[in-house]
Amino acid sequence: MGEAPQPTSDEFLLNVGPQHPATHGVLRVEVTMDGEVVKNIVPHIGYVHRGLEKLFENRTWEQIIPYTDRTDYLSAIANNFAYVMAVERLLGIEVPQKVHYIRVIAAELNRIASHLLWLAAYGLDMGAFTPFLYAFRDREEIGGMIEEASGGRLTTNYFRVGGFVHDLPPGFFPRLETFMGHFGGKIDEYDTLLIENAIFVARTRGVGAISRERAISYGMTGPCLRASDAALDVRRDAPYSIYPKLSFDIPVGKNGDTWDRSKVRIEEMRQSLRILRQAIDGFPEGDFRVKVSRNIEPPPGEVYAAVEGPRGEVGFYVVSDGGRKPYRVKMRKPSFSNFSALPEILRGMKIADLVAVMGSLDLVVPEIDR
Amino acid sequence: MSRAEVLEALRARFPDMAARPVDTASSVVVDGMRLREHLLHLRDTLGFDFLTFMTAIDRPTESRLELVYRLFSYTSRVSLMVRVLLPREAARVDTVSDLYRTAEWHEREAAEMFGIAFTDHPDPRKLLLPDDLEGHPLLKDFTHPNMLRLPEVR
Repeated sequence: MGEAPQPTSDEFLLNVGPQHPATHGVLRVEVTMDGEVVKNIVPHIGYVHRGLEKLFENRTWEQIIPYTDRTDYLSAIANNFAYVMAVERLLGIEVPQKVHYIRVIAAELNRIASHLLWLAAYGLDMGAFTPFLYAFRDREEIGGMIEEASGGRLTTNYFRVGGFVHDLPPGFFPRLETFMGHFGGKIDEYDTLLIENAIFVARTRGVGAISRERAISYGMTGPCLRASDAALDVRRDAPYSIYPKLSFDIPVGKNGDTWDRSKVRIEEMRQSLRILRQAIDGFPEGDFRVKVSRNIEPPPGEVYAAVEGPRGEVGFYVVSDGGRKPYRVKMRKPSFSNFSALPEILRGMKIADLVAVMGSLDLVVPEIDR
Repeated sequence: MSRAEVLEALRARFPDMAARPVDTASSVVVDGMRLREHLLHLRDTLGFDFLTFMTAIDRPTESRLELVYRLFSYTSRVSLMVRVLLPREAARVDTVSDLYRTAEWHEREAAEMFGIAFTDHPDPRKLLLPDDLEGHPLLKDFTHPNMLRLPEVR
């Protein structure tokens, strides 16, 4: 794929990936190095491109939902959420309050689970093995709850246009309360154990910084943008569902470096707990779905619906010509934009920082390639 | 600038601005030759510093390609859709990857998927597709020997 710049006699070319544990997926970067200093970096993507946007034009509106899970398997629910919301807006459907509450609870649990997996994997990247086991223990609880509700643990295929297939299962809330009862303390533990750990700080502080202006220009969103002191969050700035009713803070970093990106995610888990608390307390009675025709045929039109996923703005731009299949679906994925900034972030740094920086971007490769 | 001021300035600059059916964001169609000029103005004067995404829609019945740029303003929280209509054959438009760095990859994807040429693009290689693939998959008339017909849904 393409020509890499030819190294001069003082430089050499290092190839990382496509099969490499630090890339967290199938992607490749070509690094031109002078000694151990990165001179230039050329990312190569497309290894897991499945042509989903083309495929969608040949599937009915409902059939697309499980595919959205498989773009970002760590935040299947955020992807379901954005897509289903786009189709509901096309159809002009208003879903019952209870549907909103279940969706927000599922989305925030999904955010915590995704951040926990990031914490686990990033700890491993940085040479810390214990947080991996701790984070998976807690993530297991969320997996269990999501499985009870949807039948799936990772690719959940949970949301439907108009609501859900089932109501929340009995025993869901006691289980959620148990989780909430002890998870707050666990976050503090991870904060001191990994994020504030002297070795971790030494490896991440001041590494891979990007300014707010550059991060915005690269279209970065989510924790990667907020670490650069830009309080941008779809939940607040383009509000959807019941988020306007809920109070939560938007944690930001100061320097936009690797450490800030880590700290922001820890803080976001605390905010997710706050949101969950309010959603449980305000949980309404009502129906878990609104009746929708089996064959969805949205009127001609187009809509862009976005949610704040664990990695940033997850958006679906859908165009309908009035048929049973979409005319065009464009997926706006956070990892795509976040990863595109890598060459700029990494230029001039040491090669050892490559792993620290790539891990801190929390990439999910299938959503880059789609 | 506040939200109201931005919307007013937009209406002054684009008198035919309107929301497309369903979507709440305002939508403007601009001349492809003046795309850079408009985006530069939108970015620097009206604060649309964020290119959320850029893509295209194939309209073979009207024999044209519709380019879509979705902008967002960090300061005023306003979204805006900027559209450019191009002929379907030999579609060409200026790159905006120097105005919005994220456009570099989005344009590479639009180029390989729709066969749009971006003048002065810094890195016009394919992004996701194999180098030896002929054709542009997201065009409605794209065919490939390995493409199987999906079963019709009833």
